[in-house]
Amino acid sequence: MTTIDVHNLTKEYGTRRAVDDLTFTVRPGHVTGFLGPNGAGKSTTMRLVLGLDRATSGTATVGGRAYTTLHEPLRHVGALLDADAAHGSRTARNHLRVLAASNRVPARRVDEVMEETGIASVARSRVKAFSLGMRQRLGIAAALLGDPEVVMLDEPSNGLDPEGIIWIRELLRRMAAEGRTVLVSSHLMNETASFADHLVVLGRGRLLADTPMRDFIDARVRPRVRVRTSDATALKAALARHGHDAVEHDDGYWTVQHARVDDIGRIVSGAGVPVLELASDEGTLEQAYLDLTAAETEFAAQPKEARR
Amino acid sequence: MNLTPVLRAEALKVLTLRSLCGTLLALFAVTTAFSALAGVSDTSDPDFDPLFMALSGVMPGQIAAVAYGAVVVSSEYQGNGIRLTLAAVPQRGRWFAAKLVVVAVPALGVGLVTALAALLAARAGLGTAADALTVGEQVRGVVGCGVYLMLMALFAAGLTALFRSGVATLSTLIPFILVVSFVIGDAAGTVADFLPDKAGQIVLYRTYDGTLGPWTGLTVTALWAVVALLGGFWRLRRRDA
Repeated sequence: MTTIDVHNLTKEYGTRRAVDDLTFTVRPGHVTGFLGPNGAGKSTTMRLVLGLDRATSGTATVGGRAYTTLHEPLRHVGALLDADAAHGSRTARNHLRVLAASNRVPARRVDEVMEETGIASVARSRVKAFSLGMRQRLGIAAALLGDPEVVMLDEPSNGLDPEGIIWIRELLRRMAAEGRTVLVSSHLMNETASFADHLVVLGRGRLLADTPMRDFIDARVRPRVRVRTSDATALKAALARHGHDAVEHDDGYWTVQHARVDDIGRIVSGAGVPVLELASDEGTLEQAYLDLTAAETEFAAQPKEARR
Repeated sequence: MNLTPVLRAEALKVLTLRSLCGTLLALFAVTTAFSALAGVSDTSDPDFDPLFMALSGVMPGQIAAVAYGAVVVSSEYQGNGIRLTLAAVPQRGRWFAAKLVVVAVPALGVGLVTALAALLAARAGLGTAADALTVGEQVRGVVGCGVYLMLMALFAAGLTALFRSGVATLSTLIPFILVVSFVIGDAAGTVADFLPDKAGQIVLYRTYDGTLGPWTGLTVTALWAVVALLGGFWRLRRRDA
């Protein structure tokens, strides 16, 4: 088993609760997007899983074992936490050689991961000359070094160029398809929507959602259908006959709320309404996320106001 | 608990940082140069101690040993590198032990070579003034000097782990070494003899009037180093990385 199990995990810094009674499981074979605003506790949770920070209470395990009991952890778990973790005066290749040596990872993996992450050409350059995107690639190379079955990346697309973002998306999907467990934190919704198929959402250290991405969106965003026609009157009449209500927009198209594109397509073609455009307007992750956090903010803001 | 891979990684870290290799080179160069200079100085002083004169390059040279110990540890705290290190080796005791080996072994090795070179360089200048030195005294001086430099490097490494900062360590230790040596340094037989650097330096003298002897002096320095290292390890164990 290669799941990441977080159970009743709590971490307090002084009086502030960075992580608050968090329970969730990250399963293999999926890319799990780890979402939440800045300061929601995503990075803290990752550090707790890696045994870098001590939990105030609760447990975090990888494959049923505490990370600190793993003998050569890089062979099981690869993590990217900070892009600036490599010492600036070392070359990229030496940085990876050191990590490989500590976990008895064969030296050829160093060249392989540099090739894979596209930094082979700068292998012998010092890290301080690297751009943020290149440091990020080096950090990802370090995470992949031990060919781990569990991968945990904190904001991996940070600083990457458009090609890099496409590359990381494909890399994440491929790793999940290979049956690895992939947890990727982000605060960019469109980015996460492009690679994740499962979501764990945090807010103020608490778990807000742990669901497949499709369910997450469908539960929060009502499906709409977008229609453009040359005969608005006929369209309205046809829809009204079937109990649908169409709303006109400024740039000449109509939207039908709570409707599925299959139904609307049949209705308008049956009624002979000339259709210029017919599309399903699916909810985006961003809409669903904002809907969720808006409810959360409202909930969280109330006690503050009551105090005044 | 296999230490070998961690040791290999830590040794590789030292070898791949130019500044660390440079510090060890500086230890050798500064000590030997100052000892050679001392060799051609005035020997008519009644308190003249040929062994200490020959090894006196260690006084400025030890700063390089201290810097080495501090930087080996502080390079980990640069840019949260410690997180990556402890993610690779989550057993902190195992990692700290390997770190100490790569502080101690190179410091001792370079320290011994340096002490021998310093003695030879100074003797070339001192000529007959150093003839009274026995082989035993010279061996004790060279070995003691190497051990002293290693202990000072370990002391600095321990303090750096405790402060989690090389700057804090060096800005504490270097003025301390300089002040103790040049201000209260000559007050032999007092409490100053028990300071980490003064105690260990007794081994560099041919004769020394004080409560501590050459080896008991080094033991006192070793105790200081152990305390600093325990403090550093306690901080490492306890703290979030």
